[in-house]
Amino acid sequence: MRPAELLRRPLPTQTAKLTLGCPILDRLLHGGIPCESITEIVAESGSGKTQLALQLLLAAQLPVSDGGLAAASLYLHSEFPFPFRRIHQLLFHRPHSPHNPLDRIFIEPLHSVDHLFDVLPRLDILIPKSNIKLIVIDSVAALFRGEFDNTAPELKRRSGLFFKISSKLKFYARKFGLAVVLTNQVTDVIESSDNLRIGNPVSLCTSGRKVCATLGLSWANCVNTRLFMWREEDRVGDDNVQTRRFLRVVFAPHLPDSSCEFVIRREGLFGV
Amino acid sequence: MDVSSLPISPSHRGKLISAGYSSLSSLSSLSPSRLALDLKISENEAVEILKVASVRSGQDKIESGSRALVNGAQTAWDMLHEEESSKCITTSCSNLDEILSGGIHCKEVTEIGGVPGIGKTQLGIQLAVNVQIPAEYGGLGGKAVYIDTEGSFMVERVLQIAEACAQDMLEYNTLLRRDSQACLVDKQPKSFLDNIFYFRVCTYTEQIAVINYLEKFLSEHKDVGVKVVIVDSITFHFRQDFEDMALRTRLLSGMALKLMKLAKKFNLAVVLLNQVTNKFVEGSFQLTLALGDSWAHAATNRIILYWNGNERHAFIDKSPSLPSASSPYTVTGRGIRNSTSNCKRVKLM
Repeated sequence: MRPAELLRRPLPTQTAKLTLGCPILDRLLHGGIPCESITEIVAESGSGKTQLALQLLLAAQLPVSDGGLAAASLYLHSEFPFPFRRIHQLLFHRPHSPHNPLDRIFIEPLHSVDHLFDVLPRLDILIPKSNIKLIVIDSVAALFRGEFDNTAPELKRRSGLFFKISSKLKFYARKFGLAVVLTNQVTDVIESSDNLRIGNPVSLCTSGRKVCATLGLSWANCVNTRLFMWREEDRVGDDNVQTRRFLRVVFAPHLPDSSCEFVIRREGLFGV
Repeated sequence: MDVSSLPISPSHRGKLISAGYSSLSSLSSLSPSRLALDLKISENEAVEILKVASVRSGQDKIESGSRALVNGAQTAWDMLHEEESSKCITTSCSNLDEILSGGIHCKEVTEIGGVPGIGKTQLGIQLAVNVQIPAEYGGLGGKAVYIDTEGSFMVERVLQIAEACAQDMLEYNTLLRRDSQACLVDKQPKSFLDNIFYFRVCTYTEQIAVINYLEKFLSEHKDVGVKVVIVDSITFHFRQDFEDMALRTRLLSGMALKLMKLAKKFNLAVVLLNQVTNKFVEGSFQLTLALGDSWAHAATNRIILYWNGNERHAFIDKSPSLPSASSPYTVTGRGIRNSTSNCKRVKLM
């Protein structure tokens, strides 16, 4: 590797993006999920993170002219079981394609952080061989759950691992032009004067509770774009409660502070 | 000795005498800009006159270092004159420029750190665009080297900021009712992109290799006029677990020295973007810039970006010449700009 080779000249005028499968959501993200960087989706359980991830796995197979990447995807999941039924449902409502879309989705279960470090080096061969252009890890938070004590040296070690993971993922993203999407969870936060504010929203709220993304400040430094999905319960009429869902940009190098509402239907996630 | 004996044009001689400069000693400690003002001539002509005068009087104060006792040293007078006449890179936010006393200075290493989403990359991109503002508009007319270690550099955003900068320059033109021939060719946003030398590094070895390579790169491209080197971020690859922490410290201090040397040698500004971490200080967690205490000495100036209520603020944490102060700013679609809220502006501490 010669340093002169790291100079990228001339610069492209556009970054490749992966569509979310809905023009309204794509408009929120100025085109979709960008390639060669890490996008994180933070939400509480049941908000639609996995749904959106599945939608992306299918969208990646679309031709580039339709906003896809014309490629296969890799789904690393630390939450079990794999949502087979939901993905079949999404496929059912899709236009018919000549080949089986499931053939172009590679799945690997992740049991621990060490397991992830075992899987990552194999990507050097797997990605070009199978033409993978999207990697989804669902979820990063579950990998670290319960493995680290709450002592300072353990947290420091954990934080070192964040940077190692992020560094490796960004390396592959750059080398192979991949889009990398990670999902993260939320944890309740107690209202206090020195709550750390990360990104555009003063605080994150879902289902009426104040929350923050798990894995802390160190992990927040490891992702390029952070999106937040949340739910609100609205009272409609006397005993009718309607759930409304929103997606917001917490921080991104290319996006302003903006949000949009979406719904989850049988065919997938769509903005309104 | 007399001014009339100088080998200069009669008109210059006449101007000198009528302005009151009759002896060579009166010219001995004069700056070219002062002389140009007094005689109403161009600064180049003033430099010529002063050169001739100093050669005549046997001194050589204009050329830096030759009168100095040690080869390569500079007199403080020369340094002051240099500093006064050097231009800064504006941040496009006048409040921020104010606490920086003009903007980001050349020959200095400025470190800027803050939480994710506060605008570090935005400021980096803004500087990479603003360094290209031509001299006619008060800029440096230079190019930028952008070393991206995190992948946050989005070309769409650069084009957006560049377009806003070009629009601002056009507006400036119309405000001053400048002659369209006299002003510079209007810059296309894409030409701004062409003037940014973009390096993407994915490991700490690549980062060190590029920084070491910069000296050669800048020497080869001396006529190109790179005036700012931005590293976004300097810290990302060094926050992994290094088995040998002593190695990490050595690598970091080596990098810091190299960058300082580049800033001085090529007369450019070095901007390092850093992250923040929680440090347990006196019983509570405080936000500090990452990479530890030994790194704190690497930069000339340190600026911390933080949230104050609902506003983004910049705070001068360490500087040899700037007073401690904080100022609000915003990140808009056009880039970094003044904040429009009504609360008190720049706060001196």
